[in-house]
Amino acid sequence: MIKIKRLKKVSSTSALAKKEKGEPWTVIWAEEQSAGYGRKKDYWFSPKGGLYFSIILPKSNIDDLQTLTILAAFIMAKTIKENFSLECFIKLPNDLYVKQKKIAGILTENVLMGDVKFSVMGIGLNTNIDKFPKDLEKTATSLKIELNKKIDNEKIMKEIINGIKKQLKTISE
Amino acid sequence: MIKLKLKINKKDYEVEILKENINQIKVKVDDKDFVFEKQKQKKEQISVAKSSIPKRDFSKKEIKTPITGEISEIFVKVGDFVKKNQKLIILSAMKMENEIISNSEGKVKKILVTKNQKVSGNDTLIILE
Repeated sequence: MIKIKRLKKVSSTSALAKKEKGEPWTVIWAEEQSAGYGRKKDYWFSPKGGLYFSIILPKSNIDDLQTLTILAAFIMAKTIKENFSLECFIKLPNDLYVKQKKIAGILTENVLMGDVKFSVMGIGLNTNIDKFPKDLEKTATSLKIELNKKIDNEKIMKEIINGIKKQLKTISE
Repeated sequence: MIKLKLKINKKDYEVEILKENINQIKVKVDDKDFVFEKQKQKKEQISVAKSSIPKRDFSKKEIKTPITGEISEIFVKVGDFVKKNQKLIILSAMKMENEIISNSEGKVKKILVTKNQKVSGNDTLIILE
C-alpha cells in the first residue's frame, strides 16, 4: 500500500526518508526543499511549486534497482506525454530534458551491507516553477514554462508512483 | 621448560612455562607473559581467561563492495572506531549512490581505496580490527 507523507519544507525528502526508514512504498512529499540534491550531492533547485518526493522501495537486488531507475525515467516521460502531450528526452538513466533543458531528475540511493538493506528513490520534477535563477535558466525548464498552465502535482506524483510500483512487480518476478 | 600446544574453541595457543619455583610460575601464552603467584593463583587465572577473549575479537574484518563502481566519498580514517551500521563509504555505481555501511564494530586498520578510485565487485575496501 502506498502511504504518502505530505510536508511543507524539508532539507531533502531523500535525506528524511533515509533517516526515518519506514515501510516500503512510504512516500515523503515536500512542497519545498532547502537542500535538495542529485548525484554527487549536486544541488537541486527546489522552490515552492515544484514536485519533490522520495519513495522508500522494497528490499530488492541491485540489478533490479538499476533497471527500476531507468524505468522510472520512462514512466515519468510517459506520464508527462499522456497528460500534457509534451515529449521528453531521456538522458539515461536518470534525467529528463525538454528542448535540451533539464526538467526532472531521479536519484536512487541504496544502503549496502553485503546486500541491499535499504533503498530510496528521490524524484524532482520541475512543475509549477515560473522562473529559474540566472545560473540555471539556460539549462533548466519547468512544465509551467513549457505549457503555460498550472500542474496538479499530486495527480502527477500518484501516477508516477503507481507506474513505478507496477514496473517493480514486473521486473522482480 | 615445558612447551604445549592447546586448542581452545578452534584456536591454537602456544603455551610455554618459562619459570617455575615454589611461589611463582611464569607462563607465556603466544607472546604474552603471565605470572602466577601461589597465593593469588585463583585471581590470576581469571585474568588469563579475560585477556584471551579480546584476542579472538581481533580477527580480520573486511568491508567489501558487492558491486562495481567508483568511490565518491570516504567517511572514516585509519584509527577511527566504527560502530555496526555506520556509514563508511559512498560508492557511485550504475548511476545510483550506494552507502556502504559497517557490518561490525572495530577500529579502522587499513583503507585500501581512495576517492574517485574504480573498484570491482567483491573488492575489499576497508579492514577493521
